[in-house]
Amino acid sequence: MVKKKKDELQIASVSEPTVIETTDYESQLRANLEEIKKYDGVVGYILRNTTSASIDLKDPARIVDYAILSSTAFDATEEVSDLFELGTVKNIIINGKNVRMLALTVEENKISIFMENSADTEKVLEKLKAS
Amino acid sequence: MDNEVYSFALKTTLDEIQKVCPDIKNAFVLTKDRELLARDEDTPEKTIISAVDAFEEMLEKAKAIGGVEDVTIEGIKGRLNVSRLDEVYLVTVTSKQADLEYVNTMTRVLIPTVLRVLEKFSPAPLNKNSPTPNIEPEEPTIERHEELQTKIVEESEMEKHEERLEPTEKSENILPETPVNQLIVEDLKGLLAPSDTVRIDSNIIQEWNELYENKTIEEADIETFVGKSTRCKVKPIKESKLDGQGKIQMPNKVQLTLEIKKGELVKVKPAVE
Repeated sequence: MVKKKKDELQIASVSEPTVIETTDYESQLRANLEEIKKYDGVVGYILRNTTSASIDLKDPARIVDYAILSSTAFDATEEVSDLFELGTVKNIIINGKNVRMLALTVEENKISIFMENSADTEKVLEKLKAS
Repeated sequence: MDNEVYSFALKTTLDEIQKVCPDIKNAFVLTKDRELLARDEDTPEKTIISAVDAFEEMLEKAKAIGGVEDVTIEGIKGRLNVSRLDEVYLVTVTSKQADLEYVNTMTRVLIPTVLRVLEKFSPAPLNKNSPTPNIEPEEPTIERHEELQTKIVEESEMEKHEERLEPTEKSENILPETPVNQLIVEDLKGLLAPSDTVRIDSNIIQEWNELYENKTIEEADIETFVGKSTRCKVKPIKESKLDGQGKIQMPNKVQLTLEIKKGELVKVKPAVE
């Protein structure tokens, strides 16, 4: 099941996010993501919905690795949430030794923000909630 | 000392923690190789194996961010946390109304303390391939469990093989892995207290100095669980009532830098260049 979802991931854009028939909400979300990208320590983001995926990372060499991590994290969380009855998942934070990933689902959009460990996660979360 | 002793001690600890923290719905401990070491009474082994299975790929792919130190999944009904504590992963599931500060204080202080005590009795590392704890396997899970065990054995063999291939000269120059201690913040006040110095358990400093034989540890890196970090001078706690309690005395200036306050938990490791 995990592999199937991973295969569905399509990278629509690398350096510049692609916009396909955006609603006001999506426009606002993308604008907020662009702003978040400028925050101290934020190294980029992945935005995925049912029709497209946008990836904007400072280090293009990490695109595939981060996209797969993001995808597997959402899949794993779904299963674990069912197992332990966590309910609808509000957010996921994975602290790595070098980088932190904050992931959340807003409507049909799956968002993953990658940042240095020193970055302000709360500030990023607040900005996303304001979308 | 083998894994059975670790399992028994950790299981007892988890059960006791749950008695005082009823908001912890599930708790279990895995080795670094995702082998089940201990679980609380309410969490079926089948559920744990399914969870490990679900996390397996994510933990593998997290090498892209330097490997997992901590995972938090926040749901509307509860929160799951995976914390790496030295040689083990502690997984806790708490209800949404849980007092996280209290839960963290209990789990992230008690489990490492138990592990340290066990290590004092016998410093042998947790054996990946020792039999799993005193758990009665449930029929449908046996096959899956054996698969995991086989995988672990295979990985272990590969690691051993890789170790054999590495030249011995190289390994002599490598510093030991930096130990990370999780400590509770206490205020450090007083007119003469320097604003750039924290105080921690004397035995932690002693352990660091023993670990890095040719170096004297004078500074430590302090990191909060939201990622704020700073480097400070480090000295042993003076007050005997606070020494050995898993506390870190911190001047107000450092607390402001880290945006934390008394009672919160921080990660502390020796600054070794």
